[in-house]
Amino acid sequence: MKWKLVKQIFAMSSYVLLYNVVPCIWSGTALANSGGSRFVAVADVQVSGVVTSSEDGNPLPGVTVLVKGSTTATATDAEGRYEISVPESATLVFSYIGFTPQEVPLNGRTQLDIKLLPDQKQLQEIVVIGYGTQKKGDVTSSVASVKRDEFTKGAVRDAAQLIQGKVAGLRVTTPSGDPTANTQINLRGITSINGSSDPLVLIDGIPGSLNTVAPEDIESMDVLKDGSAAAIYGTRATGGVILITTRKNRGERSSIEYNTYVNVQTIARRPELLTGDDYRRLIQEEGIDYTDYGGNTDWLDEIMQTPVSQNHNLTFFGGNANTNLTASLNYRKWEGILLRSGQERFTGRVDLNHSMFDDKLRANIQIINRITSAKQGGADGYAYRQAIIRNPTDYVRNEEGGWQQRDGYFYENPVSRIYEANSENVVREMRMSGSLDYTLIKDLDLKLLVSHNEYSSLSGYATTFNHTDTWLNNRNSNASRGTSANRQNLLELTGNYSKSIGRNRFTILGGYSWQDEISEGFSSSNWNFPTDAYGWNNLGAGQALQAGQADMDSYKEKWQLAGVFGRLTYSWDDKYLFMASLRREGSSKFGVNSQWGNFPAVSAGWRISKEPFLQNVSAITDLKLRAGYGVTGTIASNPYQSQISYNFTRGNGAYIGGQWVPGFVPARNFNPDLRWEKKEEYNAGLDFAFLNNRISGSVDVYRRHVNDLLYNFEVPTPPYLIGSMLINAGTLQNEGLEVLVNFVPVQNTDFTWNSNVTYSTNRNKLVSLSNDQFEATNDFFTSGYTGEPIQDYTHRVEVGEPIGNFYVWKTVGVDENGGWLIESKDGEVIPINDAKQEDRQYYGNGIPKHIVGWNNSFTIKSFDLAVNMRGAFGYEILNFQRMFYENPKNPAYNMLKTAYDPVYGQRLNSDLVYVSEYIEKGDYWKIDNVTLGYTLPSDLLSFVKNARIYVSGLNLVTITGYKGIDPEGVNYTGFNPGNDERDKYPTTRTFTAGLSVRF
Amino acid sequence: MKKKLTLYMLVASIGATGLISSCTDLDEEVYSEVLASSFHPTEKDIPAIVAPVYASFRGLMMGWQGYFDLQEESADAIITPARPNGWYDGGTYLRMHEHRWDPLQWQPENTWQSAYRSITTANRVISQIEDGDIAIENGKESLMAELKAARAFAYYLLLDNHGNVPIVTDYRDASLPKQSTRQEVYDFVIKELTDALPLLSDDPSSTYGQLNKWGVKALLAKIYLNAEVYTGTPQWEKCIQECNDIISSGKYVLDPNYSDVFTWTNQNSKEIIFAVPYDEIYGPQNQVHMKTLDPLSRFVYAMQAGPWGGNCAVPQFIDTYDEEDGRLGDTWIMGPQKSATTGEVVIDYQKDVPSMAGTESNDGYRIGKYAIKMGATGGLDNDYPMFRYADVLMMKAESLLRTGRAAEAAELVSQVRERAFRATNPDKAVVTGDELMQGSTYEYGYQEEDGSITDKQGGADIKYGRFLDELGWEFAAEAHRRQDLIRFGVFSTKAWFNHRPSDPTKTLFPIPEGEISKNPNLTQNPGY
Repeated sequence: MKWKLVKQIFAMSSYVLLYNVVPCIWSGTALANSGGSRFVAVADVQVSGVVTSSEDGNPLPGVTVLVKGSTTATATDAEGRYEISVPESATLVFSYIGFTPQEVPLNGRTQLDIKLLPDQKQLQEIVVIGYGTQKKGDVTSSVASVKRDEFTKGAVRDAAQLIQGKVAGLRVTTPSGDPTANTQINLRGITSINGSSDPLVLIDGIPGSLNTVAPEDIESMDVLKDGSAAAIYGTRATGGVILITTRKNRGERSSIEYNTYVNVQTIARRPELLTGDDYRRLIQEEGIDYTDYGGNTDWLDEIMQTPVSQNHNLTFFGGNANTNLTASLNYRKWEGILLRSGQERFTGRVDLNHSMFDDKLRANIQIINRITSAKQGGADGYAYRQAIIRNPTDYVRNEEGGWQQRDGYFYENPVSRIYEANSENVVREMRMSGSLDYTLIKDLDLKLLVSHNEYSSLSGYATTFNHTDTWLNNRNSNASRGTSANRQNLLELTGNYSKSIGRNRFTILGGYSWQDEISEGFSSSNWNFPTDAYGWNNLGAGQALQAGQADMDSYKEKWQLAGVFGRLTYSWDDKYLFMASLRREGSSKFGVNSQWGNFPAVSAGWRISKEPFLQNVSAITDLKLRAGYGVTGTIASNPYQSQISYNFTRGNGAYIGGQWVPGFVPARNFNPDLRWEKKEEYNAGLDFAFLNNRISGSVDVYRRHVNDLLYNFEVPTPPYLIGSMLINAGTLQNEGLEVLVNFVPVQNTDFTWNSNVTYSTNRNKLVSLSNDQFEATNDFFTSGYTGEPIQDYTHRVEVGEPIGNFYVWKTVGVDENGGWLIESKDGEVIPINDAKQEDRQYYGNGIPKHIVGWNNSFTIKSFDLAVNMRGAFGYEILNFQRMFYENPKNPAYNMLKTAYDPVYGQRLNSDLVYVSEYIEKGDYWKIDNVTLGYTLPSDLLSFVKNARIYVSGLNLVTITGYKGIDPEGVNYTGFNPGNDERDKYPTTRTFTAGLSVRF
Repeated sequence: MKKKLTLYMLVASIGATGLISSCTDLDEEVYSEVLASSFHPTEKDIPAIVAPVYASFRGLMMGWQGYFDLQEESADAIITPARPNGWYDGGTYLRMHEHRWDPLQWQPENTWQSAYRSITTANRVISQIEDGDIAIENGKESLMAELKAARAFAYYLLLDNHGNVPIVTDYRDASLPKQSTRQEVYDFVIKELTDALPLLSDDPSSTYGQLNKWGVKALLAKIYLNAEVYTGTPQWEKCIQECNDIISSGKYVLDPNYSDVFTWTNQNSKEIIFAVPYDEIYGPQNQVHMKTLDPLSRFVYAMQAGPWGGNCAVPQFIDTYDEEDGRLGDTWIMGPQKSATTGEVVIDYQKDVPSMAGTESNDGYRIGKYAIKMGATGGLDNDYPMFRYADVLMMKAESLLRTGRAAEAAELVSQVRERAFRATNPDKAVVTGDELMQGSTYEYGYQEEDGSITDKQGGADIKYGRFLDELGWEFAAEAHRRQDLIRFGVFSTKAWFNHRPSDPTKTLFPIPEGEISKNPNLTQNPGY
């Protein structure tokens, strides 16, 4: 061992020496030559060239250039250039840390430019875990890591879409085509009733969101999936943790990158509605009571546009080994498929690194500034509904050129709504953070991280005099303005000690964390303005506020979170791995007696491939068995839930003593005993790599119990004032299996094919819903709502049953009068008018049982092709589109072409009603993203290091039996998953063309 | 150098730590709520503390699917049929009409929840006064009496609608309440009201919208009037006694015009004894116009809201009116309606309604009793008269009629009818005792789509049916009808519109399913 160390030190010193003498070589002092005289070199030739990185085309300084089989060597200079005198038949070996060594026979050449491939394996090795990194081989819990080169290419909405379908168990979907909407993300099922199931997102260790930084600015994303990995983040980690690492300058990279794309969108699938001609035919042939205004208007066309969006990203790397920076500027302008909808976004980021005192002290400052602004019209789900139900024989405008309005219940000209309303929403986020990392003594690092984030929003909304609000409600210009501001502080102190003694290797981490946030806001509305020219910019000019009709509101709240944590990892001979961690965390959101909670975790791993009996099996590259257990928590969403407090409200006021007074009422049913939700999770997994990493992957099984669920428990009235109360009651269980397989079917110089498959399945169950305080209670609650005119709930969540069950009257036929026949609870066929609540039954579930992703990337010479596919199976969707529009009963509203089709052999003559007929199989397979890229020849333009052009299609093909717009454009979180709502912003298909250049 | 560096680090750490005041201070700072521990109410806060006891009546009475719907849609004068724009709503209105509601029906539960919200709030305030958390020097006893009277009023709503309900009087006791019988609830309410009486204000001018002595007496009269339904034992004399006290006090009179009682300035009415006050701004839950008017009617009143167009009068009920009865036009919106600005007819309300299942938007007369002022918003200013002087006269008349004093009763009824026929045919105002002894002219039976009546029952067999008709004309759309139909034995025995005779158990609503499952001490009412 001692000898080994000496050898290493020796090797290192010689490398440093070599590096230092490089300039000498260039200045012409032929150090190598003088050395060379010792060899009998018959016919030496001068060889020179430039070594660059194949990743970004940057020159690589300090690359060792060695003549194979000799000690003759040199190194590249700062511009990556080298010159060496070698025998004619020599083979040169180029090697550099972090890159795959390359052997090149000279074959008579004297000019040899080399592109070194980054050693993917080496980079892949590092996995970001909470408060540090770990080598992949050492990881004992369930952590998924996706690096930049594996990200989804093309126009992505936010960070989540970069890893869509690439992390088993993490589901990412886009439920809305609204350019201002976010992706929907869920890891390992639903974990909370009252709190959020969303994962904690940390950007370089600081809490943020999936769109805090531009997707282009992200280096890697790591997902802590199981409890043993996430427990170090305690109470915020039940939904999992996503660690986003931004791009950092490594070493002396100096380059400018520019990425851009332009895209267009089309609606994913158009509902087929009756046209004006259909109306006239039905009036004539069947005497249907439609009104024919004579026109033929395609209302969906009238409210849609062909959106053209663009994105520009400029990234700059510079500096030297001691001080360097990464700076980026991102501008994105997205248009929506509905008229006058879109969003503009600027994101700027500067990341500065500086090291001093022989690299003992490392400092980082990062500033991220993001401004999104959405200036839009009145395009929303309601306008979309109006376009669907509006009479297709009607006109957009009347003869006088004004909007053609008609009477009707919730019946408004959708185009007028879009043009006569204006809104603006500006969000500004400023994030400042700094860290100092100091190596106190050998092996001991201390780190201080502080950050301050400011987030504010300012919104305005106003209607003109020509808006339907004037016509319907006699409100002359209805304007509102709202603003909110959040300030969040974070301070973290960590110490990290790592040591190897013999074959023992261990690390100890200890830390303290503090987080607080203040949120406040103000909003006001007013109407009846003398002019609509003001918009929201002169609220005082309206009359409604003065008349007491309009509202004004403000609020402020604050919460604090403190934690201390520690972690120990130990490994013996890289073979037996162990990790234990504990976080003790306190939140102000809970009662004084239950503020603090402990969140422990343990995990262990066994690298079987390191055992002697497998060491000689060459097919097995790596094989590791691991198991872990961890506890995480969920905080109540809102602060003050345990406070005994009151409010003065107008709603609870009354006419007392001859005047109206506000009412003084308790803010809630008091529960000072509120405490954490706790999730306990067991996870076992297997990591494998065969055939020299040609096949690799992992398998995980888990079971998680969420205890002390925070739930708005139904309490009896009397004795309670309000029929529900937030208490800790109940247990939720999730269990599942996740598989990830990476394989490389073809790997040639000219053609490589990388492929990976993810599969996950999850089964959840509400185990109990009770509390020692309240024994007798419903063992179920209802969820989901159809909206008018059906006015019914859609789901029931019952103890012992999975979440997401539809609870509905099951249709079995239609009688001769066109009325639904349903199955009663006794199994008899009865008319729906005789149906009772107890005849409802479970029918399908909105959460997919199986989720599959299959991602492929091909490189054929200078071409690259990525094909990402994704599917979900074993679930149902409630198709609101059919429930509301596939029914000919109400000729006042337009409907689907299929409305007149017979159902069970009969034409329907029934009021709109929620029945099982509208619950459909949701299974789908999507060819989601196909990207074809071409890397331009490097010698095309001398000043360009690398240039690539690409075209990409997103949400290209969906293979499904589902009749709605998009089986994936459906909400699947919460307790009413699978409701494909009526009022929606339709999802789209996107075609993108892009360019990226490196200078 | 290392030492120096360590020092730097230390200084930096301390500096950063100093940015955040305390490293484990998790006390909540409350900004937008009033902490109980830091609030010390004084007498000026008492109105605000009392207000929530009354506030829930506002949402209940004329609010969405509230007490009004509960009393009217289960009876024979008002229906909410399906309209071209909806109003099937999962069959909820149909179930109300057909008496097929179940323990999940929202309208009865709404009354339960609102009543208990008032009761629990009253209990809380009473216990806070008793415990000294709310310190009061003067008028403590009359305040306590008023709180108990308001609580008893809420219990009266439960007594009438759900019957067998738990009696809870102590806020500090969070144990699951026990159920009481309807008799026990009746006894409790009578005792609470009787105890409160001597301590209550007798000044109507300073207690509008609150329970004063006369409001409590009217409430007692109402309970005695229905005592036979509640307990099996009639209390006609006690009812007469309470009515006499109110009449002889001279505090209240009949308003000169019937419509004065219901208009948007009816807080000035001399007839109203206990009202649930509404206000466009401060108490906007009176939505009776929103539910009844077609959206087009907004032009008639230049409304700042679009009404929803739902309920209307049962044609058979309209047919019972004397054409010269001014109350027909004062209660219902009928015929062509003209835009306030253009004078054009925007909608023409027709009497006929084909069925619960299918109607046109203008089918059926609309509720116009609560006069809609020009520029009305989504909440009417009109107060809901819970008890009014005409009611007192009619309660006394009914008690007299039922105890063999028909002629005396007829005098009171004629007194109430006077203003209804003053402008048209004053002679018709006078009724005789003999007439009051006759049956009802309501053509009970099932209405077919063409308007014809099948399964005819008529109303001739209803004892004092004519008096029931009188109640119908005077109190139409005042949320009286269900109670009156029950007292006259009509509620579950007759057919009207698309309703067929139901079951006697339907005279009580079910205990809400949700409450039964949360409190095992509760037993469901018979028939559910």
